[in-house]
Amino acid sequence: MAHVTATPDAATAQRPDVDEVVQPELPWITIVWDDPVNLMSYVTFVFTDYFHYSKAKAQKLMMQVHTEGKAVVSSGTREEMERDVQAMHSYGLWATLEKTDA
Amino acid sequence: MTTFKSRRKGGVYVVLPPYAAGLIANLARQLVELLSDGEVVQPAGADPLEALLDFDLPRDEPDDPALLRLLPPAHRTDDELAAEFRRFTERDLRDGKVRDALVVIGKLEAVEDGVPDDLEFELNAEQARAWMRCLTDLRLTLAARLGVRADDESFWESLPDDDERRGVYEIYGWLGYLLESLLDAVRR
Repeated sequence: MAHVTATPDAATAQRPDVDEVVQPELPWITIVWDDPVNLMSYVTFVFTDYFHYSKAKAQKLMMQVHTEGKAVVSSGTREEMERDVQAMHSYGLWATLEKTDA
Repeated sequence: MTTFKSRRKGGVYVVLPPYAAGLIANLARQLVELLSDGEVVQPAGADPLEALLDFDLPRDEPDDPALLRLLPPAHRTDDELAAEFRRFTERDLRDGKVRDALVVIGKLEAVEDGVPDDLEFELNAEQARAWMRCLTDLRLTLAARLGVRADDESFWESLPDDDERRGVYEIYGWLGYLLESLLDAVRR
């Protein structure tokens, strides 16, 4: 994704309990992968628009994609994750689904 | 100057100079062609039994890198899962992207009639999203064609003026600017 001026680690370290990244409680997860094309603002918008996440949570997930190369954006049944992956692809984000060991 | 301005209920008011409108329409038409790939565009929600019996449903990844980026695998290592997902979703995904592009083209049709003035029109909230998705698909397609990688701006900017990739990269950057501007208008 495009450049950022903020230092995400410092920003998130101060607020460890707020808007914790989605914890997979169900066996399937949707992962969004970083790519060099999609705008950071657009990725954040997609997370708020499709998942109805708060701005803060969407931004945190976007930063995780950007800095760590990927982020778990949702969890649920296989059917639900297939729907989420397809939706992400419709927005032009690259997402995959995966079965967890849970 | 190209503008997207906020309207009530998530709508957007758009002003585009004719050359900009013509360029977007041209790119969107090429995108439709790429996604249609010789196939007839099917309406969403085709009969599932018919789908099961249709042996032409896609299983293999597209060879074209641009198409592969638009229709990416749904699993990184499990090829069987990815193939099954592709078999049941790729056609819908293609159709959705084509529909988005047709929303864009539909708004730009006045350009066809050789209108010399700026094109002005409104997008409702759903149309604005179709525009965003389509602008993104166009950027992904151009980036795949160029081979854009992370943090390689200086490479593209250092290309000589007569290198045709430079012009394509500038269009790619301009589409990013348009998307950013549209996002600003929708979020306001």
